[in-house]
Amino acid sequence: MLDCGMHMGFNDDRRFPDFSYITRSGRLTDFLDCVIISHFHLDHCGALPYFSEMVGYDGPIYMTHPTQAICPILLEDYRKIAVDKKGEANFFTSQMIKDCMKKVVAVHLHQTVQVDDELEIKAYYAGHVLGAAMFQIKVGSESVVYTGDYNMTPDRHLGAAWIDRCRPNLLITESTYATTIRDSKRCRERDFLKKVHEAVERGGKVLIPVFALGRAQELCILLETFWERMNLKAPIYFSTGLTEKANHYYKLFITWTNQKIRKTFVQRNMFEFKHIKAFDRAFADNPGPMVVFATPGMLHAGQSLQIFRKWAGNEKNMVIMPGYCVQGTVGHKILSGQRKLEMEGRQVLEVKMQVEYMSFSAHADAKGIMQLVGQVEPEGVLLVHGEAKKMEFLKQKIEQELRVSCYMPANGETVTLPTSPSIPVGISLGLLKREMAQGLLPDAKKPRLLHGTLIMKDSNFRLVSSEQALKELGLAEHQLRFTCRVHLHDPRKEQETALRVYSHLKRWAPRSFWLGLGRSGARGGSHCASRQRPQGPLRAAPSRWVRDCGVHPHPGCCPLRGPRHQGAAGVLDLPG
Amino acid sequence: MDPECSQLLPALCAVLADPRQPMADDTCLEKLLDWFKTITEAGSSLLLLQENPCLVELLCHVLKPQDLSSRVLSFSLRLTGVFAAQEDCFQYLQQGELLPRLFGEAGPLGGAAWTAPTVRSGWIQGLRSLAQHPSALHFLADCGAVDTIFSLQGDSSLFVASAAGQLLVHILSLSMRGPAEGPPGLQADDWPACAQKIVGHIEESLRSTAAPQITQALNVLTTTFGHCHDPWTQVLWVQLHPLVAALLEKDPVPAAHSLVDLLLSVARSPGLSSSSCGLWETLAQTLSHLSPTQAGLLALGILKLQDCPQALRAQAFAVLLQPLACVLKATAQGPGPSGLLDSTSADSVTADILLPSKAACVGLLCRTLAHLELLLPLPQRPCPWPQAPLLGAAVTLLQLCGGSGSPASDEGRQLCTLLLGCVRVQRAALDFLGTLSQETGPPELVTQVFAVLLEYLRSPDSSPTVLKKAFQATFRWLLSSPRTPGCSDLDSHALLFLRELLPVLQKRLCSPCWEVRDSGLEFLTQMTRRWGGQAGFRHALLASEVPRLTEQLLRDPESYVRASAVTAMGQLSSQGLCVPPASPEHPGGQQSLLGELLHILSTDSEGFPRRAVMQVFTQWLRDSHADVVGDTEQFVAGVLQVAGQDLDWEVRAQGLELALVFLEQTLGPPRSHCPYAVTPPVAAPASPLTQALQPLCRVRLFEFAFRALFDCDRPVAQKSCDLLLLLRAKMASSSSLQEPRSSPDVASVEAALQRWRAGDQAQPLGDLEPEVVLAVLRSMDLEGLRGALAESSDHVEKSPQSLLQDMLATVGILGENEADCY
Repeated sequence: MLDCGMHMGFNDDRRFPDFSYITRSGRLTDFLDCVIISHFHLDHCGALPYFSEMVGYDGPIYMTHPTQAICPILLEDYRKIAVDKKGEANFFTSQMIKDCMKKVVAVHLHQTVQVDDELEIKAYYAGHVLGAAMFQIKVGSESVVYTGDYNMTPDRHLGAAWIDRCRPNLLITESTYATTIRDSKRCRERDFLKKVHEAVERGGKVLIPVFALGRAQELCILLETFWERMNLKAPIYFSTGLTEKANHYYKLFITWTNQKIRKTFVQRNMFEFKHIKAFDRAFADNPGPMVVFATPGMLHAGQSLQIFRKWAGNEKNMVIMPGYCVQGTVGHKILSGQRKLEMEGRQVLEVKMQVEYMSFSAHADAKGIMQLVGQVEPEGVLLVHGEAKKMEFLKQKIEQELRVSCYMPANGETVTLPTSPSIPVGISLGLLKREMAQGLLPDAKKPRLLHGTLIMKDSNFRLVSSEQALKELGLAEHQLRFTCRVHLHDPRKEQETALRVYSHLKRWAPRSFWLGLGRSGARGGSHCASRQRPQGPLRAAPSRWVRDCGVHPHPGCCPLRGPRHQGAAGVLDLPG
Repeated sequence: MDPECSQLLPALCAVLADPRQPMADDTCLEKLLDWFKTITEAGSSLLLLQENPCLVELLCHVLKPQDLSSRVLSFSLRLTGVFAAQEDCFQYLQQGELLPRLFGEAGPLGGAAWTAPTVRSGWIQGLRSLAQHPSALHFLADCGAVDTIFSLQGDSSLFVASAAGQLLVHILSLSMRGPAEGPPGLQADDWPACAQKIVGHIEESLRSTAAPQITQALNVLTTTFGHCHDPWTQVLWVQLHPLVAALLEKDPVPAAHSLVDLLLSVARSPGLSSSSCGLWETLAQTLSHLSPTQAGLLALGILKLQDCPQALRAQAFAVLLQPLACVLKATAQGPGPSGLLDSTSADSVTADILLPSKAACVGLLCRTLAHLELLLPLPQRPCPWPQAPLLGAAVTLLQLCGGSGSPASDEGRQLCTLLLGCVRVQRAALDFLGTLSQETGPPELVTQVFAVLLEYLRSPDSSPTVLKKAFQATFRWLLSSPRTPGCSDLDSHALLFLRELLPVLQKRLCSPCWEVRDSGLEFLTQMTRRWGGQAGFRHALLASEVPRLTEQLLRDPESYVRASAVTAMGQLSSQGLCVPPASPEHPGGQQSLLGELLHILSTDSEGFPRRAVMQVFTQWLRDSHADVVGDTEQFVAGVLQVAGQDLDWEVRAQGLELALVFLEQTLGPPRSHCPYAVTPPVAAPASPLTQALQPLCRVRLFEFAFRALFDCDRPVAQKSCDLLLLLRAKMASSSSLQEPRSSPDVASVEAALQRWRAGDQAQPLGDLEPEVVLAVLRSMDLEGLRGALAESSDHVEKSPQSLLQDMLATVGILGENEADCY
């Protein structure tokens, strides 16, 4: 299962995925080999403790080391708001978050992790936030790449996403900005700094609601550098505890930041800020300008909402919303332009402060997504994490420009992909010798057609002569005799008629007919046994089958799906 | 509906009907629908539509050919269903021909919008809500909806397909409920046409050769027998039973999972008399036809049934045990029965699955162990329970996985190769082994259990999850180890084991993996809580390095570990198991622990350790811990002062918990009159009240509580409110309750509290006299405050009016604020 997120817009059961669609009566652990978490944002990991501690998944969970370290902080923050402040029931506890995180197997970038004998995964750098990773998932010769959220352009503290040209069967990519070619990052940053500067210059206070860890650090570096350059004196504060926490994690995972930060780290740790200090509740009432980063990011509770209430009435002040806000939050209200907010007890809060939206989320834009598709060279692309209309645009672009088939299923929709896995088949020496005896020398460059009986046993595939197959399996050869009675009305003599029929048949009937008449087990052309794909789940129960099968260079015609299919043997020798 | 909402509704309907106004947030329409459901559940839908004509206008509008968003169309279909659930409203909508136009061929069904899964889903959900009365059934028949639902069962969308199946069940059940004059007869031929049509479709699907169709039919039947228990379900089963049984004749059995679900659903149905319908025979037949991988769940289901023939139960149990019997047989050192299953003739199929492939082997074993684990605690589990061979099997599996098994046979060696290092089987076997501790076993096997657990705890190859499970299983086995009746002490064998275990725990507490250190500490806490008072345990523990290492872990870099270390040290200290520190700079171990914990409370950057400290302190106060008893007031005052400044509101809330314990101890809660009950030394008589309040004032409990009352975090304020209300209740019952007294002090405190309420909490209250506190408490509207705090912190934002305002406010600003995620 790729990611296990939650919907922050709901406060009831709908916030978590309905896992009963995986299995209604069985154990989830029997249906999933593992769970892979791409990064620590709640829409990618928010349901994890619910899934592992309440629904009952007991298998391994893979994520990168920084994600494992930061994930519980965000989950804990969310729990504290959901359960204790809003009084919601059926939510996970602190202990559950810890128990869930103990099940995590942390992975390094580019480390091939063998989940089991058949399944292996490998993480690649995705940018976006600290520890974000794309995952390549491989079973036999088939593979899928799942991007999670990623960013193809480096920013102030993280690098750009990078992945091998691994040519998977499928690339599952996010498409948040499927239609956007984002304006220059510098323009956005300049705009942001200008607005903050103006507000501070006029003596106003600036509130930037953020989530504990993530994009906030990018904004901190931006402001810190600007303050230094402009020699500004207004204080910048960050929610207490979080600066230390962030600093700790960035120090710990310095190798995950961009090259510049890593290079200068010894001389100067970019996350040890000179101008940004820890915030105390009492500071909000201090006179004069200041900039405050406070959590949570959607102004739905806690410190950020408290400060907002204090500062909202002053038109000199400003709030900058650096991300998306769900309906039902104060952040959503002010972003949609509401200026009179009803508070508890029918009180009305008049919002006179300036409200700005400045997206700093680090997703790949349409250009970036195309670039990644080009880099990975997949056989097919599947778009997720985006809006249908935008996806439609990108789908067409991918199909037209890159000539790659693209899918954009709705939630719950199934997509079936044709693949042509290569399955190694051992050929018996006897069969090869027989072919050689026919005078054809093997040529590595030319595919050769061989006839034999394919035996599938214990995950092994062997092509042997029919005689050998029968011998190995201890089976008797069945002889089929076809007889046909035909009434002929011919006035001529019996012998004469017979002669005429004989010469007629000799002239018109196909060779196979004669062979069929002459001996059993006659073989036809080079047909594959079946062009049908086996139905059912990847781990189908073993069935007894052996197919008479030519080894054939036709793509997509082999019905087998890699070594996960177990087959015992039997013989079915059909005329072509 | 509120007048405010009623006023906003027309504008909102206009926005929804405008294709140029896309909805930004997909949750809005869902929440809007929730709201309409609440309204219609409480009152008349017809009245609602008549009072708000904009709603019908919206429903009419969505039918016009236009580029309307599929989400709004889907919403409209669902909304129509919600309204039409009431029969009078249904008739009203029928008069306007609105229903056939929305749900019939002329509606979205025939148009391009139908390609969107959300529209198909909305259509189904709309019909699901609507189908509540006989008129709805006629409507469904007239508009040919049932045929569409049949086809939607195979929809490419999982959600649509599943909802279609459930809708069929609902319609079948509704049509069988019959008109007011009575339900239809029990003869299937007398059933209503709609029901006959659905049953006919199910029959046809069951005869099909296509597995998906069979699965759909089986799922519909499973839901039917799960939800409907009327007599007609028995007729239905009798009619369909031969078709279901015929599935077993196919090789392989199609849709085996769904078949198992159906059979169990039928067997559990109280409406069916199982013996008369040939159900037991079918179950027995199914058990023998399905492969062991598929039959396990059925076997477990059969064994969970309350009333089931003994022979079938025995067969089911044999199926469940077979994989483990194979393991025991393959690893047996000599010939002879394994003790798990007498008959070994049937296990060749199981062995065929176990031995050739690792994936199949691991899957089957994990499933078997999980099924047996679920079965063990049930009262209806098979009797006699083969405890000894099952213990043997679990131990053998763990030995095979751990590499310590030495099987003699080829099969055993093969199994060993497959299972060596397999974490999945290790986890499942350890869980199972832990559950088996509910029963006892032969001493030599119990010795083996402890040996294998020790082997896992020692092994450097054990993964953190395996270690955690090994710790848990060990604790469970220690709990169940044989002991003197009526005594909870560990027996001599367990103590011997403990001596071997503690060095291992010691090593694990030094593990580089925080998960392992944490599991070790949790294990230590559990053990200390249970046996901390027992001499043998105390001796063994004090002789080890474990307490010293635990103390060191208070400074662990990982906050989770620090928190667990705090809890463990708190527990050790409560039992007097803290070792005096070796170094001379820490004179008096116990005292230094209090200091250390206070230090953590005031300086630790993470909330978990600070919260753990508060829990330990509260427990210490409750238990009259030696450190606390020395100078309780100083202790409470110090803790409250630090906790009051904590940024984590859960620490502040825990501070109130501690304050409550102190308050009860000071003022004396209702106590039992048991002559043997231990009276806490600080308990004081309740009167006179002002005198009794003196200690509370001295520790500045009131300043802490009043500050918390205006805390920006609701749970803190709520807890403080409860505490102050409790105090006021005590005042009311106290004889010292005098007339309210006003004084300059009271006025200044009230003024300060007003400022605090306004958010300015900079000024402290200073020393408070009990009389002043009493006067202030009397004047406060604590009940009103409690009522306000009982509502969730976002109740205003969650209100319907707020939702409508938000939806209207979003209009026109969409492209400006590009929606993204973080």
